[in-house]
Amino acid sequence: MAKEFTLPELGENITSADVLQVLIKPGDMVSIDQVVMEIETDKATIEVPSQISGVVKEVNIKAGDKAKIGQVIFTVEDSSSNKEEVPSDGTSSKQKASSQSQGLSAEAKEMIISREEVKKEANIAEKPKAEAEILPKTEAKQGGIIEVKLPELGENILKADVLQVKVSPGDMVKKDQIILEIETDKATIEVPSEVSGTVKEVFVKAGQTASVGQVIFTVAQEEESSSAAGEPAAQPTGKTDASTLEAIDKSIIDKMTSPEKEEKVVKPEEISEQKQAETPERGKETSKEKLVTPEKPKLYIEERAQTDPSKIAPAAPTVRRFAREIGIDINEVPGSGPGGRISISDVKAYSREVSKKQKQALEAPRVGAGVPAEQLPDFSKWGEVEKRDMSNVRRKTAEHLSYAWATVPHVTQFGKADITELENLRKNYGKRAEAEGGKLTVTAILLKVVASALKTFPQFNSSVDMQNNAVLYKKFYNVGVAVDTDRGLLVPVIKNVDKKNIIELSIELNKMAEKARNKKLSLEEMQGGTFTITNLGGIGGTYFSPIVNSPEVAILGVSRSQFEPVYIDGEFKPRLMLPLSLSYDHRIIDGADGARFLKWIIDAIEQPFLMALEG
Amino acid sequence: MANKTQLALIGGGPGGYAAAFLAADLGMQVTLIDLEKNPGGVCLYRGCIPSKALLHVAKLINETEESSKWGIEFSRPKIDLDKLRSWKESVVNKMTGGLGILSKQRKITYIQGRATFLNPKTLRIEKMDGAVEELSFDNAIIATGSLPTQIPSLMLNSPRVIDSTGALALNDIPKNMLVVGGGYIGLELGSVYSSLGTEVSVVEMTPGLLPGADRDMVNILTKSISPKMKQVLLSTKVVKMEDIGSGIKVTFDGENLEQKEQIFEKVLVSIGRTPNAKGFGIENTAVQVDKRGFIKVNSRLQTDEPNIYAIGDVAGNPMLAHKASAEGKVAVENIAGHNVEFKPAAIPAVIFTDPEVAWCGLTENEARDKNIEVKVARFPWAASGRATTLDRNDGVTKLLMDPKTERILGMGIVGPGAGELISEGVLAVEMAAVAKDLALSIHPHPTLSETVMETAEVFFGQSTHIYRPKR
Repeated sequence: MAKEFTLPELGENITSADVLQVLIKPGDMVSIDQVVMEIETDKATIEVPSQISGVVKEVNIKAGDKAKIGQVIFTVEDSSSNKEEVPSDGTSSKQKASSQSQGLSAEAKEMIISREEVKKEANIAEKPKAEAEILPKTEAKQGGIIEVKLPELGENILKADVLQVKVSPGDMVKKDQIILEIETDKATIEVPSEVSGTVKEVFVKAGQTASVGQVIFTVAQEEESSSAAGEPAAQPTGKTDASTLEAIDKSIIDKMTSPEKEEKVVKPEEISEQKQAETPERGKETSKEKLVTPEKPKLYIEERAQTDPSKIAPAAPTVRRFAREIGIDINEVPGSGPGGRISISDVKAYSREVSKKQKQALEAPRVGAGVPAEQLPDFSKWGEVEKRDMSNVRRKTAEHLSYAWATVPHVTQFGKADITELENLRKNYGKRAEAEGGKLTVTAILLKVVASALKTFPQFNSSVDMQNNAVLYKKFYNVGVAVDTDRGLLVPVIKNVDKKNIIELSIELNKMAEKARNKKLSLEEMQGGTFTITNLGGIGGTYFSPIVNSPEVAILGVSRSQFEPVYIDGEFKPRLMLPLSLSYDHRIIDGADGARFLKWIIDAIEQPFLMALEG
Repeated sequence: MANKTQLALIGGGPGGYAAAFLAADLGMQVTLIDLEKNPGGVCLYRGCIPSKALLHVAKLINETEESSKWGIEFSRPKIDLDKLRSWKESVVNKMTGGLGILSKQRKITYIQGRATFLNPKTLRIEKMDGAVEELSFDNAIIATGSLPTQIPSLMLNSPRVIDSTGALALNDIPKNMLVVGGGYIGLELGSVYSSLGTEVSVVEMTPGLLPGADRDMVNILTKSISPKMKQVLLSTKVVKMEDIGSGIKVTFDGENLEQKEQIFEKVLVSIGRTPNAKGFGIENTAVQVDKRGFIKVNSRLQTDEPNIYAIGDVAGNPMLAHKASAEGKVAVENIAGHNVEFKPAAIPAVIFTDPEVAWCGLTENEARDKNIEVKVARFPWAASGRATTLDRNDGVTKLLMDPKTERILGMGIVGPGAGELISEGVLAVEMAAVAKDLALSIHPHPTLSETVMETAEVFFGQSTHIYRPKR
């Protein structure tokens, strides 16, 4: 029997990871808890232990791949596992079934909750976009091909310029997905698709003019005959009755099932609206602010008596039900079983994928507070372009800094510290630090200085809670240090800086930087910071304006020290000057405080005794 | 002062009582209203159950005749019609009585009476004992079923013209009988009377029996059933019926008719069933009815009145008891707040003639109509050991598969026991089994169920009991 090892859960909201190293190959013996691979999530590197044992049969992943949670990483041959697969008697299988079904609903709930949170965010983020949205008309052609036409756009508007076509042949479109952006004299309009399916042909291009009623594209439909796709005609499987009935005499039937009731005025808009309001549709997206063509309520037997199994996703009834419960369209889920059969785990994996995409759609293309990303121009017009996917670190950095930049009102205060004396001390005591395994750098000293400064100016060690109109003052002093690595910027955090001496700090800093460069930092070692130091002195430059590492409220930038002529006691003397840049969150820190804080740091550097005195 | 209930069920058939029982199990306060003394509906009182009891008898009689081939001779059976009738009734009473008890045990308020909607929140109930009361409800499920279709122009007010209810009443065994309509009701009841000694004629307007079912299966049935019938008139219409005292004079219209007029002692009109959506006040609600008389519902079985649901025959084809039960459960689960839809992959259909005909999922007819590419594998029962021991090699088992994924899309079976065998097909279709799954599942020998496995093997050209030369 082959057993599969799948990538286990890695933590909240983590759905995939970059594979750094695979430590096994086919033929190897693995045992439980043996580390089989090394992966990297947003910022942490994780060693993944095996949960199964046996001889490795197949390895489905290699370094450089992205691995998804739940993905099969490798399989082992295990002769002793037969028992597990076949329940030995009725009771055990029953137990299994019942425990499974119980687990299912709990799991379902969990997934719904997590997905709904995402949706909530999505709704909030969507709101500022107040462009008119109109549903295109669809018409069914034979064989499930549906023509999507440009809908009515308003009075006297017969044409529109196509700004952008967002689908191309072969794409999967979902109902309500925006497929076209057009511009009339009056407005830019996003046209959503009214059907789901695979795009067959696209008939318009950006820059063209499209007329109302013109076929924009065709879609090969997969499921649910669209409500616009023609009148009833649904003849479900067990036809006997209906067809006999029809066969006997149609006119008679018409007479019998007579029309009085037909004549009653139907008010589909009201009904369907009411229905939407009253039907508890957990899974479906809520709050659609769209013009839905009210001709036909989304209802009725014609649509539903679909018992044609070739139109029903290849999944067991329990799986279909589970998908519905968590709001996943089973028809969209790729199946991993024979004949494309969809398992519960396929649904879960897909659900995670969807959540992730929704999240990314929310975060990645938006700059901080919901500013939509601008469309990039087609650079290839001007020359060769190479496209590379962002690494997880890069993506996270981009998202985080965009957020910080957009939400924190930044002010940067500049200053210079005379470190001539400090430099002498550093040289004198450097050996001692080295003997203990540390390196007495300016940053290590600054850690101590900053800790004292934070104690003196507690608002620099706080966070802003805008939701509750509160300021959170932290009574611990954890200082992050930005480290430049070949994978990008990482910020290990030195904890309880105030309780450690400079030698200890230098040792720890050295160790952390080493870990960061060797990808050994754990997630924990990068969390819990209350202030950040970023030192670019090793590279050069005078001043720069660092971005506050939100939710912290200040960051100290350090540049390269230089000898400068300083006018002291009536003459210019060469002094070693260190340029410092303090960026802070102006919501909570006033300009005067900023200047005072930096001045305090400069004084402390210049007169180390001050630290002992006041810090 | 009106009484109040959480859920009112109108109609106590297999849809209504299944829904009521589940609702009670889920903790709802349920009122079930039906005209009969106990739940059961047409299925138990005048449909599935009594007809199957009689078909069981018919089969026994047929087998005593067939057995002469095997060296066992029986004399003509003596039929005690009263005893047979009371046995049939005892079957019905046992079942419906049992449902009555189940209903009580679940603390369901069962009202024998006729319910009418006064508005979307209130029913007026005329009880059988004459009392009238109003009942307000949070939710209601309409499960009023269907009635035998009647053709007004042909409907004579004569005791000689009966519908399925009259046929099942088993008042007498006529010398001869005309069955109008070659659908499953006509063929099942025609078979019963034929076995009891009546000369049965069947007239069907379309060119074949069981319109809608796959022809390959119908052909087997027709071949087997025709010798037992006096005549099977296809592509023939009944244009006139007249009670001439000694019988009903029927005028036919069709090609190749030997006699345009014939006289029958009894005429059974079984031309289908009509949804029962009238006469109980849905016009006082927003509930809508479609052109064919079905109540319009969405995939949650919800009507245009959001707190009123409709299930079973009245809510659309196919008019089958098991479909009604399944829908009833979906409706109740929705009322209970679950996100559930009625979207089965397969609803089985069974015709309890001899041989039985059963199918589920996709049929070849549908595949053709909808341009769905399928691969069909057939296993003739001539190659089945079990069928041979029964001297019933006339059956066939077939599977419809997606040629690419090899997924089982449908199954059709003709032969004794087809109705029992089809469930494996339903499971296969619902579970999205592929042909290999069926071929690899070990089936017991010697049984008819082996034919399912072997049909899957036929798909791969590797059936043990069929040799197919390599091409």
